[in-house]
Amino acid sequence: MATHTIVIVVVVLVAWIIAWCLPSVRARQALLLLASYLFYSNWGLGFLSILVASSFLNFSLGALLRRRLTSGCLWLGVGLNVVLLGFFKYLPPMAEALGTGWYLEFAKKIVMPVGMSFWTFQGLSYLFDVYREEELDPSLLEFCLYMAFWPVVFAGPVCRLPDMLPQFRKQHVFSWDDISEGSFRLIQGAFMKMVLATILGAGLVLGQGVNAGFDEVKTGWGALDIWFLAVGFGFLLFFDFAGYSHIVIGTARLFGIRLPENFNRPFLSTTPSVFWTRWHMSLSFWIRDYVFVPLAAASRNRRWPYAVFVIAMTLFGLWHAAKWTFILWGTYHGVVLVLHRFGQQVKRKYKVKMPPSLGVFLAWAVTFPVVSLGWLFFRANSLSQALAMFGTIFNPAAYVHLRMPLSFYAVVALVVIGYFAYEAAFSTLVAWGAAYKAKLSTSAKALSSGMGEISVIGLRLNAGGLFNFFADTFWWWFGPAVAVLAACVAIATYRQTGQVSVTPFIYTLF
Amino acid sequence: MEDAQSKEYVQRMIDYVVSEVIQRPVELNADTLLVSSGLIDSLALVNILQYLEDVTHMRIPASKVQPKDMDSVALMLATARRVGKPRK
Repeated sequence: MATHTIVIVVVVLVAWIIAWCLPSVRARQALLLLASYLFYSNWGLGFLSILVASSFLNFSLGALLRRRLTSGCLWLGVGLNVVLLGFFKYLPPMAEALGTGWYLEFAKKIVMPVGMSFWTFQGLSYLFDVYREEELDPSLLEFCLYMAFWPVVFAGPVCRLPDMLPQFRKQHVFSWDDISEGSFRLIQGAFMKMVLATILGAGLVLGQGVNAGFDEVKTGWGALDIWFLAVGFGFLLFFDFAGYSHIVIGTARLFGIRLPENFNRPFLSTTPSVFWTRWHMSLSFWIRDYVFVPLAAASRNRRWPYAVFVIAMTLFGLWHAAKWTFILWGTYHGVVLVLHRFGQQVKRKYKVKMPPSLGVFLAWAVTFPVVSLGWLFFRANSLSQALAMFGTIFNPAAYVHLRMPLSFYAVVALVVIGYFAYEAAFSTLVAWGAAYKAKLSTSAKALSSGMGEISVIGLRLNAGGLFNFFADTFWWWFGPAVAVLAACVAIATYRQTGQVSVTPFIYTLF
Repeated sequence: MEDAQSKEYVQRMIDYVVSEVIQRPVELNADTLLVSSGLIDSLALVNILQYLEDVTHMRIPASKVQPKDMDSVALMLATARRVGKPRK
Protein backbone atom coordinates (compact mmCIF):
# COMPACT_ATOMS: atom_id res chain seq x y z
CA MET A 1 0.00 0.00 0.00
CA ALA A 2 1.44 3.43 -0.91
CA THR A 3 2.66 5.60 1.97
CA HIS A 4 0.22 8.40 1.25
CA THR A 5 -2.65 5.88 1.28
CA ILE A 6 -1.58 4.63 4.72
CA VAL A 7 -1.38 8.24 5.93
CA ILE A 8 -4.88 8.94 4.65
CA VAL A 9 -6.27 5.80 6.30
CA VAL A 10 -4.69 6.79 9.62
CA VAL A 11 -5.98 10.36 9.34
CA VAL A 12 -9.46 9.07 8.48
CA LEU A 13 -9.47 6.71 11.46
CA VAL A 14 -8.30 9.47 13.82
CA ALA A 15 -10.96 11.82 12.44
CA TRP A 16 -13.55 9.11 12.96
CA ILE A 17 -12.47 8.58 16.59
CA ILE A 18 -12.68 12.33 17.19
CA ALA A 19 -16.11 12.42 15.54
CA TRP A 20 -17.48 9.93 18.05
CA CYS A 21 -16.39 12.21 20.89
CA LEU A 22 -18.21 15.25 19.54
CA PRO A 23 -21.48 15.97 21.34
CA SER A 24 -23.15 17.59 18.35
CA VAL A 25 -24.70 15.15 15.87
CA ARG A 26 -24.27 17.60 13.00
CA ALA A 27 -20.61 18.24 13.81
CA ARG A 28 -20.00 14.51 13.98
CA GLN A 29 -21.69 13.90 10.63
CA ALA A 30 -19.70 16.74 9.06
CA LEU A 31 -16.41 15.34 10.33
CA LEU A 32 -17.33 11.84 9.12
CA LEU A 33 -18.21 13.24 5.70
CA LEU A 34 -14.93 15.15 5.55
CA ALA A 35 -13.06 11.97 6.48
CA SER A 36 -14.97 10.02 3.81
CA TYR A 37 -14.19 12.61 1.13
CA LEU A 38 -10.54 12.68 2.19
CA PHE A 39 -10.43 8.89 1.88
CA TYR A 40 -12.08 8.95 -1.56
CA SER A 41 -9.84 11.77 -2.80
CA ASN A 42 -7.00 9.22 -2.62
CA TRP A 43 -8.23 8.12 -6.06
CA GLY A 44 -8.31 11.65 -7.46
CA LEU A 45 -10.25 14.87 -7.08
CA GLY A 46 -11.95 14.24 -10.43
CA PHE A 47 -13.54 11.07 -9.11
CA LEU A 48 -14.52 12.85 -5.91
CA SER A 49 -16.27 15.60 -7.87
CA ILE A 50 -18.37 12.98 -9.70
CA LEU A 51 -19.33 11.32 -6.40
CA VAL A 52 -20.32 14.72 -4.96
CA ALA A 53 -22.26 15.58 -8.13
CA SER A 54 -24.12 12.25 -7.97
CA SER A 55 -24.97 12.88 -4.31
CA PHE A 56 -26.37 16.32 -5.08
CA LEU A 57 -28.26 14.96 -8.10
CA ASN A 58 -29.94 12.15 -6.16
CA PHE A 59 -30.74 14.38 -3.17
CA SER A 60 -32.41 16.87 -5.52
CA LEU A 61 -34.27 14.11 -7.34
CA GLY A 62 -35.51 12.78 -4.00
CA ALA A 63 -36.82 16.24 -3.09
CA LEU A 64 -38.55 16.52 -6.48
CA LEU A 65 -40.07 13.07 -6.05
CA ARG A 66 -41.45 13.99 -2.64
CA ARG A 67 -43.17 17.03 -4.15
CA ARG A 68 -44.41 15.15 -7.23
CA LEU A 69 -44.79 11.49 -6.36
CA THR A 70 -45.24 10.17 -9.87
CA SER A 71 -43.71 7.28 -11.75
CA GLY A 72 -42.55 9.83 -14.35
CA CYS A 73 -40.36 11.59 -11.80
CA LEU A 74 -39.07 8.27 -10.53
CA TRP A 75 -38.07 7.11 -14.00
CA LEU A 76 -36.45 10.48 -14.71
CA GLY A 77 -34.26 9.90 -11.68
CA VAL A 78 -33.54 6.30 -12.64
CA GLY A 79 -32.73 7.36 -16.19
CA LEU A 80 -30.29 10.07 -15.11
CA ASN A 81 -28.44 7.66 -12.83
CA VAL A 82 -28.31 4.98 -15.51
CA VAL A 83 -27.01 7.49 -18.08
CA LEU A 84 -24.32 8.69 -15.66
CA LEU A 85 -23.24 5.13 -14.84
CA GLY A 86 -23.49 4.11 -18.48
CA PHE A 87 -21.29 7.01 -19.58
CA PHE A 88 -18.44 6.00 -17.29
CA LYS A 89 -18.87 2.23 -17.17
CA TYR A 90 -20.32 1.03 -20.46
CA LEU A 91 -19.35 3.67 -23.03
CA PRO A 92 -15.57 2.95 -23.00
CA PRO A 93 -15.90 -0.80 -23.73
CA MET A 94 -18.56 -0.08 -26.35
CA ALA A 95 -16.21 2.44 -27.96
CA GLU A 96 -13.43 -0.18 -27.96
CA ALA A 97 -15.71 -2.56 -29.80
CA LEU A 98 -16.86 0.01 -32.37
CA GLY A 99 -13.42 0.84 -33.81
CA THR A 100 -11.98 4.32 -34.40
CA GLY A 101 -13.17 7.92 -34.71
CA TRP A 102 -12.42 11.05 -32.64
CA TYR A 103 -15.49 10.61 -30.45
CA LEU A 104 -14.63 6.96 -29.93
CA GLU A 105 -11.04 7.84 -29.01
CA PHE A 106 -12.43 10.26 -26.44
CA ALA A 107 -14.82 7.59 -25.10
CA LYS A 108 -11.98 5.07 -24.76
CA LYS A 109 -10.14 7.48 -22.42
CA ILE A 110 -13.03 7.72 -19.96
CA VAL A 111 -12.18 6.16 -16.60
CA MET A 112 -14.92 5.05 -14.23
CA PRO A 113 -14.73 6.50 -10.70
CA VAL A 114 -13.89 3.87 -8.11
CA GLY A 115 -16.99 2.24 -6.61
CA MET A 116 -19.40 4.04 -8.93
CA SER A 117 -21.42 0.87 -9.52
CA PHE A 118 -22.02 0.60 -5.77
CA TRP A 119 -22.83 4.17 -4.83
CA THR A 120 -25.00 4.68 -7.90
CA PHE A 121 -27.13 1.74 -6.75
CA GLN A 122 -27.30 3.29 -3.29
CA GLY A 123 -28.60 6.48 -4.88
CA LEU A 124 -31.15 4.52 -6.91
CA SER A 125 -32.38 2.63 -3.83
CA TYR A 126 -33.00 6.02 -2.16
CA LEU A 127 -35.19 7.15 -5.06
CA PHE A 128 -37.15 3.87 -5.06
CA ASP A 129 -37.62 4.12 -1.28
CA VAL A 130 -38.89 7.71 -1.56
CA TYR A 131 -41.34 6.55 -4.25
CA ARG A 132 -42.49 3.80 -1.88
CA GLU A 133 -43.15 6.56 0.67
CA GLU A 134 -40.64 5.30 3.19
CA GLU A 135 -40.29 7.80 6.03
CA LEU A 136 -36.95 9.22 5.00
CA ASP A 137 -35.95 12.82 5.64
CA PRO A 138 -32.18 13.05 5.32
CA SER A 139 -30.47 16.40 5.33
CA LEU A 140 -28.07 17.08 2.46
CA LEU A 141 -25.20 16.42 4.88
CA GLU A 142 -26.65 13.04 5.89
CA PHE A 143 -27.35 12.03 2.32
CA CYS A 144 -23.84 12.90 1.16
CA LEU A 145 -22.47 10.89 4.08
CA TYR A 146 -24.66 7.92 3.07
CA MET A 147 -23.33 8.08 -0.51
CA ALA A 148 -19.66 8.58 0.44
CA PHE A 149 -19.42 6.59 3.70
CA TRP A 150 -15.81 5.61 3.60
CA PRO A 151 -15.77 1.93 4.59
CA VAL A 152 -18.25 1.02 1.82
CA VAL A 153 -17.65 3.64 -0.85
CA PHE A 154 -15.38 1.65 -3.11
CA ALA A 155 -16.84 -1.88 -3.11
CA GLY A 156 -19.91 -2.07 -0.89
CA PRO A 157 -21.78 -3.69 0.79
CA VAL A 158 -24.60 -1.80 -0.92
CA CYS A 159 -26.32 0.01 1.94
CA ARG A 160 -29.87 1.34 2.27
CA LEU A 161 -30.65 4.73 3.76
CA PRO A 162 -33.39 3.44 6.14
CA ASP A 163 -30.71 1.28 7.83
CA MET A 164 -27.94 3.89 7.86
CA LEU A 165 -29.78 7.10 8.76
CA PRO A 166 -30.70 6.13 12.35
CA GLN A 167 -27.08 5.10 12.94
CA PHE A 168 -25.73 8.38 11.59
CA ARG A 169 -28.07 10.22 13.97
CA LYS A 170 -27.30 8.12 17.04
CA GLN A 171 -24.89 9.17 19.77
CA HIS A 172 -22.26 6.43 19.83
CA VAL A 173 -21.86 4.46 23.06
CA PHE A 174 -18.56 2.64 23.52
CA SER A 175 -19.03 -1.12 23.60
CA TRP A 176 -16.52 -3.95 24.13
CA ASP A 177 -18.85 -6.14 22.05
CA ASP A 178 -18.31 -3.82 19.10
CA ILE A 179 -14.55 -3.89 19.61
CA SER A 180 -14.39 -7.68 19.94
CA GLU A 181 -16.72 -8.42 17.04
CA GLY A 182 -15.12 -5.75 14.84
CA SER A 183 -11.58 -6.97 15.57
CA PHE A 184 -12.52 -10.57 14.89
CA ARG A 185 -14.10 -9.67 11.54
CA LEU A 186 -11.04 -7.58 10.58
CA ILE A 187 -8.59 -10.38 11.34
CA GLN A 188 -10.84 -12.95 9.65
CA GLY A 189 -11.11 -10.79 6.53
CA ALA A 190 -7.39 -10.11 6.35
CA PHE A 191 -6.65 -13.84 6.66
CA MET A 192 -9.15 -14.71 3.94
CA LYS A 193 -7.80 -12.12 1.50
CA MET A 194 -4.10 -12.05 2.22
CA VAL A 195 -3.55 -15.75 2.82
CA LEU A 196 -6.30 -17.91 1.35
CA ALA A 197 -7.20 -15.88 -1.74
CA THR A 198 -3.55 -15.14 -2.48
CA ILE A 199 -2.47 -18.79 -2.12
CA LEU A 200 -5.28 -19.95 -4.39
CA GLY A 201 -4.57 -17.29 -6.99
CA ALA A 202 -0.78 -17.50 -7.06
CA GLY A 203 -0.41 -21.15 -6.13
CA LEU A 204 1.70 -23.05 -3.62
CA VAL A 205 4.40 -22.79 -6.27
CA LEU A 206 4.37 -19.34 -7.84
CA GLY A 207 2.63 -19.33 -11.20
CA GLN A 208 0.79 -22.59 -10.59
CA GLY A 209 -2.40 -21.25 -9.08
CA VAL A 210 -5.91 -20.66 -10.31
CA ASN A 211 -4.99 -17.43 -12.15
CA ALA A 212 -2.34 -19.22 -14.19
CA GLY A 213 -4.91 -21.81 -15.22
CA PHE A 214 -7.00 -19.06 -16.84
CA ASP A 215 -4.28 -16.62 -17.95
CA GLU A 216 -1.31 -18.79 -18.93
CA VAL A 217 -2.91 -21.98 -20.20
CA LYS A 218 -4.55 -21.16 -23.52
CA THR A 219 -5.70 -24.57 -24.68
CA GLY A 220 -5.55 -28.24 -23.86
CA TRP A 221 -7.22 -28.34 -20.44
CA GLY A 222 -8.52 -31.66 -19.30
CA ALA A 223 -12.08 -31.81 -17.96
CA LEU A 224 -10.83 -32.34 -14.39
CA ASP A 225 -8.58 -29.26 -14.82
CA ILE A 226 -11.68 -27.26 -15.67
CA TRP A 227 -13.55 -28.53 -12.62
CA PHE A 228 -10.63 -27.65 -10.36
CA LEU A 229 -10.35 -24.22 -11.99
CA ALA A 230 -14.08 -23.59 -11.63
CA VAL A 231 -14.20 -24.65 -7.98
CA GLY A 232 -10.85 -23.01 -7.24
CA PHE A 233 -11.90 -19.68 -8.69
CA GLY A 234 -15.22 -19.79 -6.84
CA PHE A 235 -13.33 -20.10 -3.57
CA LEU A 236 -10.74 -17.51 -4.62
CA LEU A 237 -13.51 -15.01 -5.34
CA PHE A 238 -15.25 -15.90 -2.09
CA PHE A 239 -12.13 -15.42 0.05
CA ASP A 240 -11.30 -12.21 -1.80
CA PHE A 241 -14.72 -10.57 -1.69
CA ALA A 242 -15.97 -12.03 1.59
CA GLY A 243 -12.58 -11.15 3.07
CA TYR A 244 -13.03 -7.56 1.90
CA SER A 245 -16.58 -7.57 3.30
CA HIS A 246 -15.36 -8.80 6.70
CA ILE A 247 -12.69 -6.06 6.79
CA VAL A 248 -15.21 -3.34 5.93
CA ILE A 249 -17.96 -4.63 8.23
CA GLY A 250 -15.43 -5.16 11.02
CA THR A 251 -13.98 -1.65 10.63
CA ALA A 252 -17.43 -0.06 10.78
CA ARG A 253 -18.35 -2.24 13.76
CA LEU A 254 -15.33 -0.99 15.72
CA PHE A 255 -17.10 2.35 15.72
CA GLY A 256 -20.55 1.01 16.42
CA ILE A 257 -21.90 1.11 12.86
CA ARG A 258 -23.60 -2.05 11.60
CA LEU A 259 -23.39 -2.66 7.87
CA PRO A 260 -25.47 -5.23 5.95
CA GLU A 261 -23.94 -8.68 5.57
CA ASN A 262 -22.68 -9.79 2.18
CA PHE A 263 -22.04 -13.52 2.61
CA ASN A 264 -23.52 -16.34 4.66
CA ARG A 265 -21.70 -19.62 4.01
CA PRO A 266 -22.74 -19.72 0.33
CA PHE A 267 -20.98 -22.98 -0.47
CA LEU A 268 -23.31 -24.81 1.89
CA SER A 269 -26.35 -23.78 -0.20
CA THR A 270 -28.69 -26.63 -1.07
CA THR A 271 -30.48 -24.90 -3.97
CA PRO A 272 -29.57 -22.16 -6.47
CA SER A 273 -32.32 -20.04 -4.92
CA VAL A 274 -30.73 -20.37 -1.47
CA PHE A 275 -27.31 -19.58 -2.98
CA TRP A 276 -28.55 -16.15 -4.03
CA THR A 277 -29.69 -15.41 -0.49
CA ARG A 278 -26.13 -16.13 0.71
CA TRP A 279 -23.79 -14.73 -2.01
CA HIS A 280 -23.19 -10.97 -2.42
CA MET A 281 -26.36 -10.54 -0.39
CA SER A 282 -26.49 -6.75 -0.43
CA LEU A 283 -26.60 -6.65 -4.24
CA SER A 284 -28.70 -9.80 -4.61
CA PHE A 285 -31.39 -8.40 -2.31
CA TRP A 286 -31.19 -5.08 -4.17
CA ILE A 287 -31.95 -6.84 -7.46
CA ARG A 288 -34.75 -8.83 -5.76
CA ASP A 289 -36.37 -5.78 -4.15
CA TYR A 290 -36.06 -3.22 -6.94
CA VAL A 291 -36.00 -5.33 -10.11
CA PHE A 292 -37.35 -8.87 -9.72
CA VAL A 293 -40.42 -8.42 -7.49
CA PRO A 294 -41.82 -5.26 -9.21
CA LEU A 295 -41.17 -6.67 -12.69
CA ALA A 296 -42.44 -10.21 -11.97
CA ALA A 297 -45.62 -8.94 -10.32
CA ALA A 298 -46.43 -6.75 -13.33
CA SER A 299 -48.10 -9.61 -15.17
CA ARG A 300 -50.30 -12.53 -14.13
CA ASN A 301 -48.94 -14.73 -16.91
CA ARG A 302 -47.64 -17.81 -15.09
CA ARG A 303 -44.51 -18.01 -17.27
CA TRP A 304 -43.61 -14.32 -16.87
CA PRO A 305 -41.76 -14.62 -13.50
CA TYR A 306 -39.47 -17.20 -15.10
CA ALA A 307 -38.57 -14.77 -17.86
CA VAL A 308 -37.95 -12.13 -15.19
CA PHE A 309 -35.53 -14.49 -13.41
CA VAL A 310 -33.43 -14.53 -16.57
CA ILE A 311 -33.77 -10.75 -17.14
CA ALA A 312 -32.90 -9.88 -13.53
CA MET A 313 -29.89 -12.17 -13.38
CA THR A 314 -28.66 -10.97 -16.78
CA LEU A 315 -28.78 -7.42 -15.40
CA PHE A 316 -26.89 -8.73 -12.38
CA GLY A 317 -24.18 -9.96 -14.71
CA LEU A 318 -24.19 -6.74 -16.74
CA TRP A 319 -23.77 -4.70 -13.53
CA HIS A 320 -20.34 -6.30 -13.13
CA ALA A 321 -19.04 -5.26 -16.54
CA ALA A 322 -20.06 -4.75 -20.14
CA LYS A 323 -18.54 -8.01 -21.25
CA TRP A 324 -20.24 -11.01 -22.82
CA THR A 325 -18.69 -13.32 -20.22
CA PHE A 326 -20.38 -11.50 -17.35
CA ILE A 327 -23.66 -11.18 -19.21
CA LEU A 328 -23.60 -14.92 -19.93
CA TRP A 329 -22.73 -15.63 -16.30
CA GLY A 330 -25.83 -13.76 -15.21
CA THR A 331 -28.02 -15.41 -17.84
CA TYR A 332 -26.63 -18.83 -16.85
CA HIS A 333 -27.76 -18.27 -13.27
CA GLY A 334 -31.15 -17.01 -14.43
CA VAL A 335 -31.66 -20.22 -16.42
CA VAL A 336 -30.46 -22.30 -13.46
CA LEU A 337 -33.03 -20.60 -11.20
CA VAL A 338 -35.78 -21.40 -13.72
CA LEU A 339 -34.67 -25.04 -14.04
CA HIS A 340 -34.61 -25.30 -10.26
CA ARG A 341 -38.27 -24.19 -10.12
CA PHE A 342 -39.21 -26.75 -12.78
CA GLY A 343 -37.33 -29.39 -10.78
CA GLN A 344 -39.36 -28.50 -7.68
CA GLN A 345 -42.59 -28.90 -9.65
CA VAL A 346 -41.53 -32.33 -10.95
CA LYS A 347 -40.59 -33.41 -7.41
CA ARG A 348 -44.02 -32.35 -6.11
CA LYS A 349 -45.90 -33.90 -9.03
CA TYR A 350 -44.26 -37.30 -8.64
CA LYS A 351 -44.16 -37.03 -4.84
CA VAL A 352 -40.46 -37.85 -4.67
CA LYS A 353 -39.65 -38.74 -1.07
CA MET A 354 -36.36 -39.69 0.57
CA PRO A 355 -34.72 -39.49 4.00
CA PRO A 356 -34.20 -35.78 4.83
CA SER A 357 -30.42 -36.03 5.32
CA LEU A 358 -30.00 -37.82 1.95
CA GLY A 359 -32.23 -35.23 0.30
CA VAL A 360 -30.17 -32.36 1.73
CA PHE A 361 -26.90 -33.98 0.66
CA LEU A 362 -28.13 -34.68 -2.87
CA ALA A 363 -29.49 -31.14 -3.19
CA TRP A 364 -26.08 -29.74 -2.14
CA ALA A 365 -24.26 -32.21 -4.43
CA VAL A 366 -26.20 -30.85 -7.43
CA THR A 367 -26.13 -27.16 -6.44
CA PHE A 368 -22.40 -26.92 -5.70
CA PRO A 369 -21.11 -28.09 -9.13
CA VAL A 370 -23.82 -26.17 -11.01
CA VAL A 371 -22.85 -22.93 -9.25
CA SER A 372 -19.14 -23.71 -9.69
CA LEU A 373 -19.49 -24.12 -13.46
CA GLY A 374 -20.89 -20.60 -13.66
CA TRP A 375 -17.55 -19.20 -12.44
CA LEU A 376 -15.98 -20.22 -15.75
CA PHE A 377 -17.94 -17.42 -17.42
CA PHE A 378 -17.13 -14.99 -14.60
CA ARG A 379 -13.38 -15.50 -14.75
CA ALA A 380 -12.64 -16.41 -18.38
CA ASN A 381 -10.62 -13.85 -20.32
CA SER A 382 -12.84 -14.09 -23.36
CA LEU A 383 -16.09 -15.60 -24.52
CA SER A 384 -14.27 -18.14 -26.66
CA GLN A 385 -12.19 -19.29 -23.70
CA ALA A 386 -15.31 -19.62 -21.54
CA LEU A 387 -17.15 -21.63 -24.18
CA ALA A 388 -14.11 -23.83 -24.85
CA MET A 389 -13.74 -24.58 -21.14
CA PHE A 390 -17.47 -25.20 -20.74
CA GLY A 391 -17.49 -27.52 -23.72
CA THR A 392 -14.57 -29.54 -22.34
CA ILE A 393 -16.63 -30.46 -19.26
CA PHE A 394 -19.13 -32.30 -21.47
CA ASN A 395 -16.48 -34.18 -23.45
CA PRO A 396 -16.02 -37.63 -21.83
CA ALA A 397 -12.67 -38.13 -23.61
CA ALA A 398 -11.29 -35.05 -21.83
CA TYR A 399 -11.54 -36.74 -18.44
CA VAL A 400 -8.43 -38.86 -18.99
CA HIS A 401 -6.19 -35.90 -19.61
CA LEU A 402 -4.55 -33.58 -17.00
CA ARG A 403 -2.76 -30.38 -18.01
CA MET A 404 -2.13 -28.47 -14.77
CA PRO A 405 0.81 -29.08 -12.41
CA LEU A 406 0.39 -31.22 -9.30
CA SER A 407 0.73 -28.31 -6.88
CA PHE A 408 -2.35 -26.70 -8.47
CA TYR A 409 -4.59 -29.68 -7.64
CA ALA A 410 -3.05 -29.84 -4.18
CA VAL A 411 -3.70 -26.19 -3.32
CA VAL A 412 -7.30 -26.23 -4.55
CA ALA A 413 -8.08 -29.53 -2.81
CA LEU A 414 -6.40 -28.42 0.44
CA VAL A 415 -8.20 -25.09 0.60
CA VAL A 416 -11.61 -26.50 -0.35
CA ILE A 417 -11.42 -29.46 2.02
CA GLY A 418 -10.03 -27.17 4.71
CA TYR A 419 -12.97 -24.80 4.28
CA PHE A 420 -15.60 -27.55 4.61
CA ALA A 421 -13.71 -29.07 7.54
CA TYR A 422 -13.68 -25.65 9.25
CA GLU A 423 -17.43 -25.22 8.68
CA ALA A 424 -18.13 -28.71 10.07
CA ALA A 425 -15.92 -28.08 13.11
CA PHE A 426 -17.47 -24.67 13.77
CA SER A 427 -21.02 -26.07 13.55
CA THR A 428 -20.05 -28.91 15.89
CA LEU A 429 -18.51 -26.48 18.40
CA VAL A 430 -21.61 -24.32 18.32
CA ALA A 431 -23.80 -27.40 18.88
CA TRP A 432 -21.57 -28.56 21.76
CA GLY A 433 -21.68 -25.08 23.26
CA ALA A 434 -25.46 -25.12 23.20
CA ALA A 435 -25.53 -28.65 24.68
CA TYR A 436 -23.09 -27.67 27.46
CA LYS A 437 -25.14 -24.58 28.29
CA ALA A 438 -28.26 -26.74 28.53
CA LYS A 439 -26.46 -29.36 30.68
CA LEU A 440 -24.92 -26.62 32.83
CA SER A 441 -28.35 -25.26 33.54
CA THR A 442 -29.69 -28.76 34.33
CA SER A 443 -26.69 -29.64 36.52
CA ALA A 444 -26.91 -26.35 38.39
CA LYS A 445 -30.54 -27.04 39.20
CA ALA A 446 -29.71 -30.59 40.35
CA LEU A 447 -26.83 -29.29 42.51
CA SER A 448 -28.94 -26.65 44.15
CA SER A 449 -31.69 -29.19 44.93
CA GLY A 450 -29.12 -31.61 46.41
CA MET A 451 -29.85 -34.39 43.91
CA GLY A 452 -27.25 -36.54 42.10
CA GLU A 453 -23.59 -37.16 42.82
CA ILE A 454 -21.99 -33.87 43.78
CA SER A 455 -18.49 -34.76 42.51
CA VAL A 456 -19.68 -35.76 39.00
CA ILE A 457 -21.95 -32.72 38.74
CA GLY A 458 -19.09 -30.56 39.99
CA LEU A 459 -16.76 -31.91 37.25
CA ARG A 460 -19.38 -31.29 34.61
CA LEU A 461 -19.94 -27.78 35.92
CA ASN A 462 -16.23 -27.08 35.79
CA ALA A 463 -15.95 -28.44 32.24
CA GLY A 464 -19.02 -26.52 31.15
CA GLY A 465 -17.81 -23.38 32.86
CA LEU A 466 -14.43 -23.67 31.15
CA PHE A 467 -16.09 -24.17 27.78
CA ASN A 468 -18.32 -21.14 28.36
CA PHE A 469 -15.31 -19.05 29.37
CA PHE A 470 -13.53 -19.81 26.09
CA ALA A 471 -16.72 -19.31 24.09
CA ASP A 472 -17.54 -15.99 25.75
CA THR A 473 -14.01 -14.65 25.43
CA PHE A 474 -13.72 -16.00 21.92
CA TRP A 475 -11.91 -13.02 20.44
CA TRP A 476 -9.30 -12.88 23.20
CA TRP A 477 -7.71 -16.12 22.05
CA PHE A 478 -9.12 -16.91 18.60
CA GLY A 479 -8.10 -13.65 16.95
CA PRO A 480 -4.46 -13.80 18.06
CA ALA A 481 -4.38 -17.54 17.28
CA VAL A 482 -5.59 -16.92 13.74
CA ALA A 483 -3.12 -14.05 13.33
CA VAL A 484 -0.21 -16.26 14.47
CA LEU A 485 -1.37 -19.13 12.24
CA ALA A 486 -1.78 -16.78 9.29
CA ALA A 487 1.69 -15.37 9.81
CA CYS A 488 3.21 -18.86 9.96
CA VAL A 489 1.40 -20.00 6.81
CA ALA A 490 2.31 -16.80 5.00
CA ILE A 491 5.99 -17.06 5.95
CA ALA A 492 6.11 -20.74 5.01
CA THR A 493 4.42 -20.12 1.69
CA TYR A 494 6.24 -17.01 0.64
CA ARG A 495 9.68 -18.31 1.58
CA GLN A 496 9.09 -21.13 -0.88
CA THR A 497 7.62 -19.12 -3.68
CA GLY A 498 9.49 -15.87 -3.41
CA GLN A 499 7.74 -12.55 -3.33
CA VAL A 500 4.04 -12.76 -4.10
CA SER A 501 2.19 -9.49 -4.37
CA VAL A 502 -1.31 -9.27 -2.95
CA THR A 503 -3.65 -8.42 -5.83
CA PRO A 504 -6.30 -5.69 -5.47
CA PHE A 505 -9.71 -6.74 -4.18
CA ILE A 506 -11.50 -8.18 -7.24
CA TYR A 507 -14.76 -6.26 -6.68
CA THR A 508 -12.99 -2.89 -6.72
CA LEU A 509 -12.67 -3.49 -10.46
CA PHE A 510 -16.47 -3.38 -10.98
CA MET B 1 -67.74 -6.04 10.66
CA GLU B 2 -64.30 -4.75 9.69
CA ASP B 3 -62.70 -6.96 12.34
CA ALA B 4 -64.49 -10.03 11.03
CA GLN B 5 -63.42 -9.18 7.50
CA SER B 6 -59.81 -8.68 8.62
CA LYS B 7 -59.85 -12.04 10.38
CA GLU B 8 -61.23 -13.66 7.26
CA TYR B 9 -58.46 -12.09 5.16
CA VAL B 10 -55.81 -13.23 7.65
CA GLN B 11 -57.09 -16.81 7.61
CA ARG B 12 -57.34 -16.95 3.82
CA MET B 13 -53.79 -15.63 3.46
CA ILE B 14 -52.45 -18.13 6.03
CA ASP B 15 -54.25 -21.00 4.31
CA TYR B 16 -52.85 -19.94 0.93
CA VAL B 17 -49.29 -19.59 2.19
CA VAL B 18 -49.39 -23.01 3.87
CA SER B 19 -51.15 -24.97 1.13
CA GLU B 20 -49.88 -23.33 -2.05
CA VAL B 21 -46.52 -21.82 -1.14
CA ILE B 22 -44.85 -23.75 1.67
CA GLN B 23 -46.78 -26.94 0.84
CA ARG B 24 -46.09 -28.74 4.09
CA PRO B 25 -47.75 -28.64 7.49
CA VAL B 26 -46.40 -25.64 9.42
CA GLU B 27 -47.89 -23.57 12.23
CA LEU B 28 -48.36 -20.00 11.07
CA ASN B 29 -50.02 -17.00 12.59
CA ALA B 30 -50.48 -13.45 11.37
CA ASP B 31 -47.10 -12.40 12.76
CA THR B 32 -44.93 -15.34 11.70
CA LEU B 33 -41.94 -14.01 9.75
CA LEU B 34 -42.00 -15.46 6.26
CA VAL B 35 -39.43 -13.66 4.09
CA SER B 36 -36.67 -12.91 6.61
CA SER B 37 -36.93 -16.45 8.01
CA GLY B 38 -36.50 -17.96 4.54
CA LEU B 39 -39.89 -19.72 4.61
CA ILE B 40 -40.84 -18.08 1.32
CA ASP B 41 -38.64 -17.01 -1.58
CA SER B 42 -38.89 -14.20 -4.12
CA LEU B 43 -41.04 -16.15 -6.60
CA ALA B 44 -43.47 -17.10 -3.85
CA LEU B 45 -43.58 -13.44 -2.83
CA VAL B 46 -44.83 -12.51 -6.28
CA ASN B 47 -47.55 -15.18 -6.19
CA ILE B 48 -48.59 -14.09 -2.69
CA LEU B 49 -48.81 -10.45 -3.78
CA GLN B 50 -51.14 -11.40 -6.62
CA TYR B 51 -53.28 -13.55 -4.29
CA LEU B 52 -53.40 -10.65 -1.80
CA GLU B 53 -54.91 -8.51 -4.54
CA ASP B 54 -57.58 -11.17 -5.14
CA VAL B 55 -58.41 -11.53 -1.43
CA THR B 56 -58.62 -7.80 -0.70
CA HIS B 57 -60.12 -6.84 -4.11
CA MET B 58 -57.44 -4.19 -4.40
CA ARG B 59 -54.82 -3.30 -6.94
CA ILE B 60 -51.46 -3.23 -5.17
CA PRO B 61 -48.69 -1.61 -7.25
CA ALA B 62 -45.66 -3.90 -6.89
CA SER B 63 -43.37 -0.88 -7.30
CA LYS B 64 -44.75 0.40 -4.01
CA VAL B 65 -44.05 -2.83 -2.11
CA GLN B 66 -40.85 -4.15 -0.61
CA PRO B 67 -40.24 -7.70 0.64
CA LYS B 68 -40.02 -6.35 4.20
CA ASP B 69 -43.61 -5.09 3.78
CA MET B 70 -44.63 -8.70 3.10
CA ASP B 71 -42.68 -10.37 5.90
CA SER B 72 -45.81 -11.58 7.68
CA VAL B 73 -49.51 -11.90 6.92
CA ALA B 74 -50.25 -8.94 9.20
CA LEU B 75 -47.72 -6.79 7.34
CA MET B 76 -49.15 -7.90 3.99
CA LEU B 77 -52.64 -6.74 4.92
CA ALA B 78 -51.32 -3.49 6.36
CA THR B 79 -49.46 -2.91 3.08
CA ALA B 80 -52.62 -3.58 1.10
CA ARG B 81 -54.48 -0.99 3.19
CA ARG B 82 -51.63 1.53 2.83
CA VAL B 83 -50.88 1.38 -0.91
CA GLY B 84 -53.79 -0.57 -2.40
CA LYS B 85 -56.42 1.03 -4.58
CA PRO B 86 -59.88 -0.49 -5.01
CA ARG B 87 -60.25 -2.50 -8.18
CA LYS B 88 -62.66 -1.18 -10.71
